[in-house]
Amino acid sequence: MKALSLFLPVSLAAACVAFGQTKAPKTAWGDPDLQGVYTTDDLNGVPMERPAKFGTRRFLTEQEFAERAKQVSSERTTIDTGVRPTTGFWSIVKDAGVDAAAAPAQWIEYARHASRLSSLVVDPPDGRIPALTPEGEKRRASQPQYYNMRPASWEDLSSYDRCITRGVTGSFFPSIYGNGSQIFQMPGMVAIRYEMIHETRLIPLDGRPHAGSGLRSYMGDPRGHFEGNTLVVETTNFIGGKVDVGGVPYSDALKLTERFTRVDADTIDYKVTVDDPKTFTAPWTVEFPIRHEPGYQIFEYACHEGNHAMHNRLSAARALDKHDAANGAQEASGQK
Amino acid sequence: MRTTFSSAALAVFTLAGGSLLGAARTFDGHPDLSGIWQSVGTANWNLEDHPASPGPFFQLGAIGATPSGQGVVEGGQIPYKPEALKQRNENFQNRWKLDPEIKCYMGGIPRSTYMPYPFQIVQTPTSILMDYEYASSNRVINMEKEPLEASVDTWMGTANGHWEGETLVVDNTGFNDESWFDRAGNFHSDQLHVVERFTLRDADHINYEATIEDPQVFTRPWKISLPLYRHVEKNAQLTEFKCVEFAEELLYGDVRKK
Repeated sequence: MKALSLFLPVSLAAACVAFGQTKAPKTAWGDPDLQGVYTTDDLNGVPMERPAKFGTRRFLTEQEFAERAKQVSSERTTIDTGVRPTTGFWSIVKDAGVDAAAAPAQWIEYARHASRLSSLVVDPPDGRIPALTPEGEKRRASQPQYYNMRPASWEDLSSYDRCITRGVTGSFFPSIYGNGSQIFQMPGMVAIRYEMIHETRLIPLDGRPHAGSGLRSYMGDPRGHFEGNTLVVETTNFIGGKVDVGGVPYSDALKLTERFTRVDADTIDYKVTVDDPKTFTAPWTVEFPIRHEPGYQIFEYACHEGNHAMHNRLSAARALDKHDAANGAQEASGQK
Repeated sequence: MRTTFSSAALAVFTLAGGSLLGAARTFDGHPDLSGIWQSVGTANWNLEDHPASPGPFFQLGAIGATPSGQGVVEGGQIPYKPEALKQRNENFQNRWKLDPEIKCYMGGIPRSTYMPYPFQIVQTPTSILMDYEYASSNRVINMEKEPLEASVDTWMGTANGHWEGETLVVDNTGFNDESWFDRAGNFHSDQLHVVERFTLRDADHINYEATIEDPQVFTRPWKISLPLYRHVEKNAQLTEFKCVEFAEELLYGDVRKK
């Protein structure tokens, strides 16, 4: 509980200890009640893998936290004034040498409460994703690149660029926008709706077996059950090789085990273990809180319907092809 | 899942339209619409009466043909304004190019209800989720007393629901003007207002009605009605139909590297 108190307001920490044991709300039919609208906006600025300087330390010190809070607050002010920030996610964009003006400031969400987490990955204890298998390395090297400026077709771009899906983890892990999720419960069923590319997962709790191995999908085949106050969801039957987790396309052997536990009236602790022996040499786990933010509303993300970027990018690539071909022809005739 | 309910609420309710023998109730006492539902019929081909006709590609033979069917519009015909009727007829001529379904765009309302894919209702007292297999589209019906205002136009609209006795009434506004009602070019503007009524006629059937109002396109409100059938197969579940991949060559093929 000491760990928990670090990312919850101090006044709530004591209540939280009791909350998990006795006060966790229940549905009318007796299941732990996880329902509500949540967002991961507050995780903005937390890296996926832990920077080496933090070692096995999961939470920031007071001083590190003050720095994070300052950065988060400055990003918030920048975005609120309609300017795209250059820190956090946006420094990555700068490093890639590409202007990301395609996403204007008003698209971007920011953290309202800075997080004390040093990384999203919590296991292995150093917060680093385990080494890849040779097959995983191969898949990572050959995956579509976001910054591909000369795609021959849509197949050279990611499933996110194509508005197909970001998969189970990509739909939920914090991103620049679309970080909302909503949990619904009824007897025998939990449904989770993600803002990111309008995904919904319908999770049976009735103990039925997984669908046959021939029935594969991008969002997989989830089965859930409660362990105490925790909803445990195991998902298999994924389509392999197309969607990434931790920066590498996972295989069809991927099994995700997720745990949802309410820790206070507004917060659910989320934990997912990624087990894919064809891709990673060991399982690894991400853990972060999702929060109910008053006034947060989930909007329809009609990603594919409004995907003008796809046609524009391909059209620009063909224009570059044409330009190069003309230059090549000129050079060739000049050499004559 | 339903069995959990029916033991708790195995009561007989008699309605004008039929008996609700064995139909379940939720914990807050409303009819339980939870489950996997699908329309069986040809409404998605054409809301109005239509004869069978060939498909656009002879290679597909009978598979590609349009089946005939009785219309689901009360009174038979959609009351278009003259200009709008012209537009609909043009849409019909160009339907194999212009129908948003070809491009894997969201179905909108009411069309998502009677597309040839199942959808699942997850019912809670404060919100009702309708998750459609087609294109992973979905919508949430706000059941709170305070209605949700449509702050932006969307494909699936903004939905506020309430119970009128045994009927779930859903009021939908905030639509864009891009979805169609069917594959025959029946269309609307962004002034579309749809009021849907879901009424269990027995445990495994819903009477579905939608009243459609759009002063830019129609001379008066009009109504469709059709039954929805419950998927009763053992372990029935929604499967995935992410259709973007099936539309990319069509949408972007002109800028693919040759």
